[in-house]
Amino acid sequence: MKKNKTEEGGTDRRKFLKLGLMTSLTAIAGASIVTNLAAQEEEKEPSGEVIRLLTPEGKIVEVNASNINKYPEALITPAESRIGIPDRKFVMVIDLAKCKNARKCVEECQKAHKLDDHQEFIKIQLIQNHEEGEPYWFPKPCFHCDEPPCVIVCPTGATFKRDDGIVLVDNTRCIGCKFCVTSCPYSARQFNWGHKEKFDDKSQPYSPETGVPAAEGTVMKCDFCPDLLRQGELPHCAKACPMGVIYFGDKNEDIVTNGEETVRFSQLINDRGGYRHLEHLGTKPNVYYLPAVNRQFPLERGFNIDEEIVERYKDVPYVQELKKQGKI
Amino acid sequence: MKSNLFKYTKITAFLAVLLFSINSNAQEKDASNYDMSFEFKTIKQDDNSRLLEANFNGKNIEDRKDIIPMFNAEIKFFNVLNEEEVLLGTAKTSKEGIAQFTLPENQKYLTDENGNINLIARFEGNDAVAESSAEIIVKNIKLALNLEEIDSVKTVLVTAFTFDESGTEIPLEETDVIIYVQGMFSKMKIAEGTISEGAFEFEMPTDLPGDSNGNLTVFSIIEGNEQYGTVIQKKNIKWGVFQKQIKENQNTLWSSAAPVWMYVVLTILLVGVWANYIYTIINLFKIKKEGQDIELETES
Amino acid sequence: MNIDTRKRELVKELSPMLEKSSLLSKIWIISLISIILVGLYAFILQLSNGHEVTGMRDNVVWGIYIVNFIFFVCLSYSGAFIAGVLHFFETPLKNSIARIVEITTVLSLIIGPVFILLCIGRLDRLYYLFLYPRIQSPISWDIIAILTDLIGCFVYLYLTFIPDLAILRDASKENAEVPKWRKKMYKFLAIGYQDTPTQHERLHKIIRIMSVMIIAMAIVAYSVLAWIFSLTVQPGWNSSIFAPYFIISGLYSGIAVIIIAMYIIRKFYKLEKYITKIHFFAGGVILLIFSLLYGYFTFSEYFSRWFSHKKHDVDLLNTLFSRYFWQFIFANYFGILMPIAILFFKKLRTVKLVTIAAIISVLGIWLNKYLIVVPTLETPYLPIQDTRAEFVHYSATWVEYSLSLTGIAAFCLFFTLILKFVPAIPMSGIIDLEKRKQLKRKKDNQLATEL
Repeated sequence: MKKNKTEEGGTDRRKFLKLGLMTSLTAIAGASIVTNLAAQEEEKEPSGEVIRLLTPEGKIVEVNASNINKYPEALITPAESRIGIPDRKFVMVIDLAKCKNARKCVEECQKAHKLDDHQEFIKIQLIQNHEEGEPYWFPKPCFHCDEPPCVIVCPTGATFKRDDGIVLVDNTRCIGCKFCVTSCPYSARQFNWGHKEKFDDKSQPYSPETGVPAAEGTVMKCDFCPDLLRQGELPHCAKACPMGVIYFGDKNEDIVTNGEETVRFSQLINDRGGYRHLEHLGTKPNVYYLPAVNRQFPLERGFNIDEEIVERYKDVPYVQELKKQGKI
Repeated sequence: MKSNLFKYTKITAFLAVLLFSINSNAQEKDASNYDMSFEFKTIKQDDNSRLLEANFNGKNIEDRKDIIPMFNAEIKFFNVLNEEEVLLGTAKTSKEGIAQFTLPENQKYLTDENGNINLIARFEGNDAVAESSAEIIVKNIKLALNLEEIDSVKTVLVTAFTFDESGTEIPLEETDVIIYVQGMFSKMKIAEGTISEGAFEFEMPTDLPGDSNGNLTVFSIIEGNEQYGTVIQKKNIKWGVFQKQIKENQNTLWSSAAPVWMYVVLTILLVGVWANYIYTIINLFKIKKEGQDIELETES
Repeated sequence: MNIDTRKRELVKELSPMLEKSSLLSKIWIISLISIILVGLYAFILQLSNGHEVTGMRDNVVWGIYIVNFIFFVCLSYSGAFIAGVLHFFETPLKNSIARIVEITTVLSLIIGPVFILLCIGRLDRLYYLFLYPRIQSPISWDIIAILTDLIGCFVYLYLTFIPDLAILRDASKENAEVPKWRKKMYKFLAIGYQDTPTQHERLHKIIRIMSVMIIAMAIVAYSVLAWIFSLTVQPGWNSSIFAPYFIISGLYSGIAVIIIAMYIIRKFYKLEKYITKIHFFAGGVILLIFSLLYGYFTFSEYFSRWFSHKKHDVDLLNTLFSRYFWQFIFANYFGILMPIAILFFKKLRTVKLVTIAAIISVLGIWLNKYLIVVPTLETPYLPIQDTRAEFVHYSATWVEYSLSLTGIAAFCLFFTLILKFVPAIPMSGIIDLEKRKQLKRKKDNQLATEL
């Protein structure tokens, strides 16, 4: 029953979106969609997500996605966000065999959470299992542990674990002691060290479920995008991945999907040898990995990006070797 | 109303182009090196309504991966028989480039002698963008989904018929059908099969959890069939074996209330220390009082 | 001997340090204040620009503020511990140094927590700690421990001040030179203490109880402080030895700081008569014992990490022995072995050398704490992959250094100011001692006459 509801919610939203567009069209009588959208564009800052559209006039316009996505966000207040989506237990499965460091997950996540260039809720690390093993790309979001060390040490309850398994940060409660950052063994958390203009943008009311706008002197991290989950959509990273690396779903219904393929979670984990990173720490992560066997892409493919990104992985011995050989 | 509003579209568009070509920040570009791609499909939904969906995109001639959706283009849907064209409805494309129109169950169609419905979706075109259209021919079909427990085996029964001119049912032959269950984000395929003699039977797996009430939503879908288009049928049933994964973990290290022993220990420690402080302060007051008494004595 | 006249004598002898302000002391105070003013500017800068002005970044989120925090808080706990021990066992040497120890305790317990406040991103929300408390968090324990301890130490310090304040009150009654506010203050604070036998007994009873209490609290508070680190799963922190290790290292640094303070006060106020060579000798022996203990704990800690060579421990040791090689050598070899080498030989336990050993110990301890905090954060389970140097390695900025110096300057300044109000040597203690001696002599005489 509840599934139906979320589905209906989704279509409602789509309908509303269309409605919103129509009204915005009718509002400016006689104006074409080009001027309409472009005029709005001028008012807005050029920052933010830009999408390209064709118009019936045969033009390509670049519009700010927020102009089109104007729908009243069902605001989940900090208090409501502590409860979680009923009867769900979210889980992520990352198929390391398919990751080629395309970084689409990182980019989409940054766009959605209004993050700066270097702030990454999902990081792609280059790691080696042991000296003989070839390194592989390792996308690392927050693991939303069932025994979260960060939640344990928080002195004010600003970070909390919900019934649906998601660990969130309420930045209106956070005092910025950074104890959670030091206690997370997976370096999943970021701190806002200084003030930024975007923090003042109050056009979108703050909700721990979106983490936007962030606030100075507080902690933030990957949130599994509960705002999208409530609409029955996958998190931004899972949606964005061109390789279908990231599966996401509800452990209760035992179904995970990467957007294209939908499979039983238990089967996926058991057939493909799924594991959790640093299991021995006892944090019980809710992110599972499928080992990087029979890789679909050679490692070097992931270096086919800008120099700044390549620089990141320079301390990995294998990368130094590759650099010596002039392969990257 | 809407057509009224768009009467001046071309003029304003022209003005806008003029304006933006002066403005260095012009966000408009010419789409001349984009080919238009127009796709059309029809889906018969589980409530027997029919969804018409046109997908209108521009594809870069040089880079085929570069696809831009056509936004706000008016698409007209027609039912055609020989020279006769009946307008079924119009819809505008979304920012994904998709225009949708739903026809109710009791919609009357023009059909040819074989029971085929000829549908056309058309963008009428203008000076800048040429006319685009696509046509599909589908047969009306009745897809039924039955979920029954036969000899305590949970069975999915799919039946499918088309109709001849007189309305009698003709069983479907050699048509692929897929069985899905609904998940939170998507449908999960659990079986693929072929309908023969108008029926397909399949034994449901018994270990699917379903939702919190154990309800499963089962779909039988004929996907993108040449003759029938896409046909969807669904049904709910309480066949799930839902088990909540989260145990109620109260008073743990990470819950909002701490383990009881922590409160106990902390209380004991604090009460012990503060009792001592209070004792000290009481004694201080006693010292003070004695001092005052002495002072009074010496004064008197 | 008349006790009252003796009291007056003592006041006369020790009050010059309360009254006159020499040129040297003026320069001293002004330079301390200017350091504090620079620190104040740095603090305002940090407050307005955010923590961006510090060297801390996402991986190393705790820097030298936390190191200073541990250092000062450890210092205060050890001060409390030592003060408690001195009082409880009524050691004969206690008189001359008890006040130095007590002031050290309270001052460092005030300054220490300021450093953790500097580390907090949202000072405006500090009251959330009490509004939404979570007692599972070691930070909550630490706050409770520090607050309780602070109150306890204040009460204790005050108790030990009462007899002296009473002496000062009585002595200043007829003295026209003493300003009025001071007289009033002495009178108010002495709460009518007349040193009657009942008052004396009562006061000493509660001082004794408080001294035990303070020792116990110091142990709890030390452990809680260590647990902030050792209860996490980070390599280099997650160690069951940490609580006792912090107690030992805290006492070690505490003793060292007290020796340094003794040296400075002795020199500055010319108190050679009270703070004698014997004090330094004894201090040297205690410092030796603790440096041995501390060395033993340090060795156990790193030895087990090195020997069991778990991957992440090895990574940490690699960081320590590459980037932090010289710091590690100084903190954990030089900083421990050098004091041992000096203090081991009886002949070398001179005033100067003991003080030098103490200085080396303090520097070593501070660096040791730095090496506990920073390299661990630079070596997380998943190695840092970043191009920005400041996110890979931590180096403190001038703001952090300036505020650290401010902490030290504030410590010295408050110390100086307190010594302007009450003498460094507790007069009541001297009198008590002399009374006891008198009593003993009487008894001896009685015994002799009886025999």
